[in-house]
Amino acid sequence: MAGRSTSRHKIMLLLLVPFFLWIFAFLLLPAIMMLISSFQNEGGQGFTLGQYVKGLTHPLYTAAIKNSVILSLVSALVGLAVAAIGAYSFTTFSEKARDRMLSLSNMMTNFAGVPLAFGFMALLGTNGMLTLLFKQLGLSFLVFDLYSWKGLAWVYIYFQIPVALLIVYPSLYAIKEEWKESASLLGASAAQFWLRIGVPVLLPALVGTFSVLFANAMGAYATAYALVTNNFNLLSIQIGGLVAGDVFPRVELGSAMAVILFVILVIALWINEKMLRLARKGGGLP
Amino acid sequence: MNGVSGKKSAASRIGHLFVVIVILTFLLLPLLVTFLFSISTVWDHTILPKGYSFDSYAALFSDDRFLLALGRSFLVASVTVVLSLIVMVPTIFIVSLYVPKLERWLQSVVLMPFAVPGVVAAVGLIKLYSSPPFAISGTIWILIGVYFIIILPFVYQSTRNSLRSVNAAELMEAAEVLGADKPAAFAQVILPNIMPGIIAASLLSFSIVFGEFVLANMLVGGSYEVVQVYLYHMLGTDGHRSSATIVTFFLLVLILYVLVLKFGQRKPRTAVTSDAKEGNPFELRPDSKRVEKF
Amino acid sequence: MSFVRIQNVSKSFNDNRVLNQVSLDIEEGEFVTLLGPSGCGKSTLLRAIAGLNAIDEGSISVGGKDITNLPPKKRNVGMVFQSYALFPNMNVYDNIAFGLKMDGLKKHEIRPKVEQMLSIIDLKGKEASYPSQLSGGQQQRVALARSLIKNPTVLLLDEPLSALDAKIRRSLRNEIRLIQKRLNMTTIFVTHDQEEALTISDRIFVMNHGRIEQAGTPNEIYIVPASEYVARFIGNYNVWSREQLKGLPVHGLPEQGDMFAVRPEAIRMDTAAGDNENGVVADGKVSYVSILGNVLRFEVDVAGLPVTVDMLSGQSIEHLSTGTPVKLFIPRDEWKSIQKSS
Repeated sequence: MAGRSTSRHKIMLLLLVPFFLWIFAFLLLPAIMMLISSFQNEGGQGFTLGQYVKGLTHPLYTAAIKNSVILSLVSALVGLAVAAIGAYSFTTFSEKARDRMLSLSNMMTNFAGVPLAFGFMALLGTNGMLTLLFKQLGLSFLVFDLYSWKGLAWVYIYFQIPVALLIVYPSLYAIKEEWKESASLLGASAAQFWLRIGVPVLLPALVGTFSVLFANAMGAYATAYALVTNNFNLLSIQIGGLVAGDVFPRVELGSAMAVILFVILVIALWINEKMLRLARKGGGLP
Repeated sequence: MNGVSGKKSAASRIGHLFVVIVILTFLLLPLLVTFLFSISTVWDHTILPKGYSFDSYAALFSDDRFLLALGRSFLVASVTVVLSLIVMVPTIFIVSLYVPKLERWLQSVVLMPFAVPGVVAAVGLIKLYSSPPFAISGTIWILIGVYFIIILPFVYQSTRNSLRSVNAAELMEAAEVLGADKPAAFAQVILPNIMPGIIAASLLSFSIVFGEFVLANMLVGGSYEVVQVYLYHMLGTDGHRSSATIVTFFLLVLILYVLVLKFGQRKPRTAVTSDAKEGNPFELRPDSKRVEKF
Repeated sequence: MSFVRIQNVSKSFNDNRVLNQVSLDIEEGEFVTLLGPSGCGKSTLLRAIAGLNAIDEGSISVGGKDITNLPPKKRNVGMVFQSYALFPNMNVYDNIAFGLKMDGLKKHEIRPKVEQMLSIIDLKGKEASYPSQLSGGQQQRVALARSLIKNPTVLLLDEPLSALDAKIRRSLRNEIRLIQKRLNMTTIFVTHDQEEALTISDRIFVMNHGRIEQAGTPNEIYIVPASEYVARFIGNYNVWSREQLKGLPVHGLPEQGDMFAVRPEAIRMDTAAGDNENGVVADGKVSYVSILGNVLRFEVDVAGLPVTVDMLSGQSIEHLSTGTPVKLFIPRDEWKSIQKSS
């Protein structure tokens, strides 16, 4: 009996082999190569911590990390705030309208990267529709340079919103209508309800979403790249330039920077995991 | 009190409507402007285009470079999705039913792509695959290889949920007791029942691969130009073709989404009924009604 | 030799012994029930017979053939699951025909058999319906037909009624029993519902912690529970230890035994002492009365010890209201000495 079940087991495990091979070839091995490379000299020899030292001390790269972190924090925060208010407004509509709005918003998560860069150029570029409109209406103070940090922040906030909506929306269902009713029966105002019950219950979910958005922005590359190629000093843009740049690829330094980025993301997602667990413990999430 | 709260709720309804309109407008505006651009004749120094035509689309669809790129994108996306299903559906099935020890591990592996942005993934792949013995950088193969990884979370989630919702373990047992061996039971009982979920996952994965730019640009770029890379090259030079490409791409996404919704909502005809009423044979269950609608 | 013979079967899941040297014999055409609470091993034993769980030790034979090492598909047993496990992608006809198709039968061979089955389970005209379009009871009948069509050597029923509501449960229970008798189908039925077990079975095996605690006809199990466990599980038995009774106004206790069980309906109760020639007598006070349809259930307080007494309603018992002092009389042969369970 033991023989039969193990031979069956073997055939089944055999069917898992392609998956393991694939993971090995396109996930594990590249990751190991990247890690090894990050500890090598330029040219791929020896062992050194130099690439990390450079990545973490050279003004160009520290500025890139700082810029990325700030841009990610700002876009995540604003995106989350807009999405939280929006998601709450969504819940006040009928199920049908709600589903439509959500589908629309979900679909807009695809409007990212190169198409998004084009859309913003057409809208807010030098000759963009809104730019011209504002100028004509004498609202020149509303006009800003799309290719500046401010412009990039708008673009980042834009692509954060649908992602944030997608994640935040389900967690709003943790707030039960009965809670509001019993709170109001006990004499609490709407503001008191949100302050004392609503926000505390949602907090883990909001923090979790925030870290996902942060990671999302940290890793984003296409939009900024498409907007002005390599001109923004962002961590992801630096990595891209170092690894696949046209002039002198410096894969080792690029690897070290990629590892740094990855570590930042892992920390962010680890916080998300913790928060999710906290939310589940408190019964905050479905 | 009642009157006040009534008034308040009317006011708040308008408030919510306002919020929703502002957000959705903000989200749709860049796409709408892109569409407007794609059907404009000349649009450089005016607020609205000077004239309208579909010339950009005509030009785009007679551009061999675009058609080739489109074809490549289709090829990459289809091959990746098909390979992913062939490899992953049996893997997920076997692990979740017969090797539960691997389940947690599998779950963390398939979620890895969420933590690895394209630009990071590209680094190791370039390092590994741009020189012999595996110099596949710049070819379709490296794209298929890495896109397989990118779509793992979606394929896994959808397949796993479908297996769970049809109660695959018990269906397998029932089929086996009735004389089917495992491959037959899988093919005739499990596969047809998880099909809607698998199709939804495929469509979603297809749209993800189709819209991917970072890896395509860094790993392959011009030597195997896919639509997104073509778009990037057009961006600085030809606004009309760019906008028409984007609208075409979005139309495809829209179609895929509608199909996903259709298959995603199509609940499998599961037979879990403790509340069904006896003696009313003509009463259809609500979910079966929904099946009829599509 | 018995038709189904299970000998010394043991099975552990990660150090947790769910079947412990189980042996039982079932005759051909018999309807037996494995009864016990969840986790007692009854479902595991059933699944072992079907070949869905491999066993660690022991042997299982059906019809004189050792099937211990056969895969499920070669055992030719029928099994009905609690959640029916109908194939949602197939209609009623295809569900029922599935087993025959797997055996490689031709379409024209399958059709008459399916139709016969459909008439047995009374679902003619429903061939084209999908499981989701059927009620729970109908689905379970299809599941039954699906397992019976291959003319299995044994029919295994794993809590087939527990997902249904009470009324359908009762009618389907009777239907299953009728079909079983008509086909003379050896059947093993698993349930945790003692009422179900008592009404449907030829024989009952009460299981506890992976062992058979008691085997017998429903009557034997009900009238003479072998242990405290069975007495407690089977119904509303009053179960007392000798210690509990010490110092209470209870007279006429037998010399032997440490643990006693008394059926509530075996206790006679009145306001005055009756003819208590041979039995146990106790003094108490009615503390609670509830109406269970045709039965009145009294909670009697015997100096702190609760005693349940059932009487048919309709007797003149209006005077036995809450607070009334009463005398209880238990005939000697209703005072069952049982084994203490840990």
